[in-house]
Amino acid sequence: MKPYSEAIARLNSSDAKTPGGTSLDNGDSDSEDDYMKMSFTDTPTTAPELSYKQSLRKRREAEARGRVKSKAELAAEERERREAALSKPFYSTDTADKTKSGSKGFAMLAKMGFKGGALGPSSHNDKADVGGSGSGTTQPQRLVEPIRLEIKDGREGIGLESERKRKLREASEASAHAVKKAKVGENEYRDRIRQEREDARLERQVIAAQKVAEGLYEDHTKQAAHAAHAARSSAPTRTEQTAGPPMPSTTPLLSSIPVVFRGLVRTREMEERDRRMRLSLAEGLGAEEEDEDDKMALGKGSQLQQYIDDDLDLDKDDQELDDFNVLPPGERLNKLLIYMRTTFNYCFWCKSKFDDDKMGDCPGISEEDHD
Amino acid sequence: MADRKSGVKRSSVDGDDAQDSKRMRMGNGDANVKMNPYLAHHYENGQSDSKSPLDVLERHNTTALQAVKVEDEDVNPWTGRPHTQQYFKILQTRRDLPVQKQRQEFLDMYHSSQILVFVGETGSGKTTQIPQYVLFDERPDLNGKLIACTQPRRVAAMSVAQRVANELDVELGEEVGYSIRFENRTGPKTMLKYMTDGQLLRESMHDNDMSRYSCIILDEAHERTLATDILMALLKQIAARRKDLKIIVMSATLDAQKFQSYFYDAPLLAVPGRTHPVEIFYTPEPERDYVEASVRTVLQIHATEPEGDILLFLTGEEEIEDACRRISLEVDDMIRESDAGPMKVYPLYGTLPPAQQQRIFDKAPEPLRKGGRPGRKCIVATNIAETSLTIDGIVYVVDPGFSKQKIYNPRTRVESLLVSPISKASAQQRAGRAGRTRPGKCFRLYTEAAFKKELIEQTYPEILRSNLANTVLELKKLGVQDLVHFDLMDPPAPETMMRALEELNYLACLDDDGELTRLGGLASEFPLDPALAVMLISSPEFYCSNEMLSITALLSVPQIWVRPNNARKRADEMKQQFAHPDGDHLTLLNAYHAYKGAEQQGEDMKQWCHEHFLSLRHLASADNVRAQLKRIMETHGIELVSTPFQDKNYYTNIRRALLAGFFMQVAMRESSNSKVYKTVKDDQLVMIHPSTVLTTPYDWVVYNEFVLTTKQYVRTVTNIRPEWLLEIAPVYYDLDTFEKGEIKSALTRIVDKVRRRQAMKGGSS
Repeated sequence: MKPYSEAIARLNSSDAKTPGGTSLDNGDSDSEDDYMKMSFTDTPTTAPELSYKQSLRKRREAEARGRVKSKAELAAEERERREAALSKPFYSTDTADKTKSGSKGFAMLAKMGFKGGALGPSSHNDKADVGGSGSGTTQPQRLVEPIRLEIKDGREGIGLESERKRKLREASEASAHAVKKAKVGENEYRDRIRQEREDARLERQVIAAQKVAEGLYEDHTKQAAHAAHAARSSAPTRTEQTAGPPMPSTTPLLSSIPVVFRGLVRTREMEERDRRMRLSLAEGLGAEEEDEDDKMALGKGSQLQQYIDDDLDLDKDDQELDDFNVLPPGERLNKLLIYMRTTFNYCFWCKSKFDDDKMGDCPGISEEDHD
Repeated sequence: MADRKSGVKRSSVDGDDAQDSKRMRMGNGDANVKMNPYLAHHYENGQSDSKSPLDVLERHNTTALQAVKVEDEDVNPWTGRPHTQQYFKILQTRRDLPVQKQRQEFLDMYHSSQILVFVGETGSGKTTQIPQYVLFDERPDLNGKLIACTQPRRVAAMSVAQRVANELDVELGEEVGYSIRFENRTGPKTMLKYMTDGQLLRESMHDNDMSRYSCIILDEAHERTLATDILMALLKQIAARRKDLKIIVMSATLDAQKFQSYFYDAPLLAVPGRTHPVEIFYTPEPERDYVEASVRTVLQIHATEPEGDILLFLTGEEEIEDACRRISLEVDDMIRESDAGPMKVYPLYGTLPPAQQQRIFDKAPEPLRKGGRPGRKCIVATNIAETSLTIDGIVYVVDPGFSKQKIYNPRTRVESLLVSPISKASAQQRAGRAGRTRPGKCFRLYTEAAFKKELIEQTYPEILRSNLANTVLELKKLGVQDLVHFDLMDPPAPETMMRALEELNYLACLDDDGELTRLGGLASEFPLDPALAVMLISSPEFYCSNEMLSITALLSVPQIWVRPNNARKRADEMKQQFAHPDGDHLTLLNAYHAYKGAEQQGEDMKQWCHEHFLSLRHLASADNVRAQLKRIMETHGIELVSTPFQDKNYYTNIRRALLAGFFMQVAMRESSNSKVYKTVKDDQLVMIHPSTVLTTPYDWVVYNEFVLTTKQYVRTVTNIRPEWLLEIAPVYYDLDTFEKGEIKSALTRIVDKVRRRQAMKGGSS
């Protein structure tokens, strides 16, 4: 018998192994079923399909099948199928599962002792008797899965792809970061607006408190002057301006005014000076005609001018005032409140002056206390 | 154990202590005493044995000094003829090779160990010298055993054998020969045989102990070809039972430790190559187009760097030709505009005709005028130039970091050549090429970070990237039962092995237990892929074994069609003359028949092939392959028959016969107006390669190969009828084994049709 005919005989005999007619029948009905189902899995099967609907459906189906796909579509589908095939083992460990094409290969390898994992000699046994340290232990990694198939199209150099990916990643991270930041900003904005409003309110209160404090101060100065006049006794000069009541002075130097409302005075004085300067500038056009008497009559004493210019020295740096002004309005207000309470036993919120430093029925220093 | 005993017995018979009896034995065995290869010189000299210069060399106990003395003799010890002048000239250069200095050290190690790992960088002279050192120590003239030296490439085996024949002052094919697939140039006198690793593997199928050899040298083992890996595993086993067999594993790279530990911590001998330092440059940014960057870099080197030749690595023929053209054009401009020196650009790739390959050794051009700027040559090569070829004068290497690599994935069953990044080891090897003559420079067209991060350490050995169907068949024939625990240096993925077993099972080469069938045994006799072998063996059943023999031969050589860029249209027209409407296989056959017809009519074949855009070289090679295969068929009693050409079934029979081997490579058209096909069982979408002669979009085709580039093609395609599949390969086309889908439905309809037809026939009779 010739070997090749033997081969054919083998083929035929192995064919005979599978039950002929019945299996074909099964396959037949199976695949007819399959053919119908293929694109219809989502068609409701409850109601029998009307014939015109069926023909419509069939026509649509044929059209879908018959439509010539674009190159890009084809390429995408080709790639998709390839990736699908490459991404999973082709074999099935279930050797009874005939439809999985690889189960045969698995069964054959299993008969040779394959139990999963990688191929190659097991590092323990069979090596020792052949001689010395075998190769088993020195192989760092053995393949469990086939090497991946990477298809390169185009002529990009090495590293370009990963560089691009890195840049993309960085960009996406940056934008993610930006989005996050924007979200944070939303809350911040609300906070900021709230803060700004609050600050503006406090600022107004600071000015109001300063005006009250100035009024109190002036009253106090007058009283003190009267008292001094009456008592003719010289009170010890206090240099601390914020803490204690200032030494009343007939010539109120700007630096002697308590810092808490000195800004108010200073601003007012500066406005006054500007007004006067503008005035004098305007007047200066006809200044030659005015003599001392005119000036006297008009109440423009050069002495006063001198006083403002020299003694208040509005242009001089006032470190103390600057330090005070940079404080947040809440704090400035607080300092004013404390100043008024300690110096004049006055509560800004109760709007009343108390007789002693116990402050009577004033509930506390802060605005909230008076709510 | 039984094997071992018989091995010992054999070696005691052949042992050198029994010289006289052996000589007698051989004398008796040979009909013509004068033809005895190892005694020939005694008779030619007409003198007694004692006069041979070789007598001082005591087998396995020689010294370098003794051998050198013998080499210096006036008379060639192997032929008995006086040495030529040329011999002494070559001897001088041989003595300067780095490996010569360690000849004694090598011999000492060789004597003391059965397995030896030898590391010598390219240029150390290991490939040519080590086998000769072994020759003088093994004294094949005493015991008749050969020394084999394997090479991964055919060309290398041929050229090295020629070189060593020259060095030993003998005729190629006599004392020194080579054996490659489809070509054997050895004779009865051959003592030293260069061969491809695949060829040694094939030989060992009939000689499981490799008993013809006393020493086997595996050269270029670092390349880790499929056959070298299998040979290493086999030799490891053989070494245990044949203590008289010496094994040398030679590697050009320094990762020899892996070889050492694989071979039971074999001793290592390292010979430094003649290398100079190479300065390495990286690009600051990744390149957008590596071909363009390569061209630019070459031109920059030419413009700014001092004298020295350039080697540029690219991936394939098309790319290389393109780069060559661009470089040449640009250089012409440079010469005109800035008085640059002349530069010759040579391509180098595997399919280039040998004569053109030789041009890379031409000298660099002279300056255009006296005192002008020096000329240089630029070689644009595939990774052939990475290890196997040594080109002197290279000072600059440009390395874009890619090569075409074979890759096989069992999940889609596609084996393809894909452009892939090289490994770090490869990159080092490439850089090393710049330091052969003097300190050189290597320009890597990627960043240092990319080198560190993106390149793998070592190139994957071929065994991990190949379809193993053929290998499994060979291993089975070699008697390897347990493929799971077979001690390979790098075992393949289990799925690759399963696929191979499964394919062989469908081809009826292995039974369900993985045992070799008679068909399998017969198929393994053919140096072909199992599918081709099975197709050939089955062909008499289809009354066309002569034709299938021709087709098989034509499929085993590179493409016979020539399609030059400047004459594509004309080439296609000529191909149309041979075209058969049913497919490319038949067209191949027509072209071959036309070729044979023209040859018989005494045409000038060179002219004829040129006119018909056919490759004479590949057709002649197919003719040779055909003759070899025919001999194997005759040996095994496979009939050579043909259907009469007038018979209407002449071509049908051939188309059917194709399926006997290629029933697993069938594709079905997706739908009636589509050009897209779906491969059977693997469910991959493919197009028919544009080179096809098919004009009708047939529903079912058989294909020779699946080509994966950026698209998926099937190439060399022939129209078939689906009924044939069910008839010729019923096991594979058992519908129960198909997953649901269009192909299963289509096949089911075919089954129905066939059954109906049979029923009608039955009813009418």
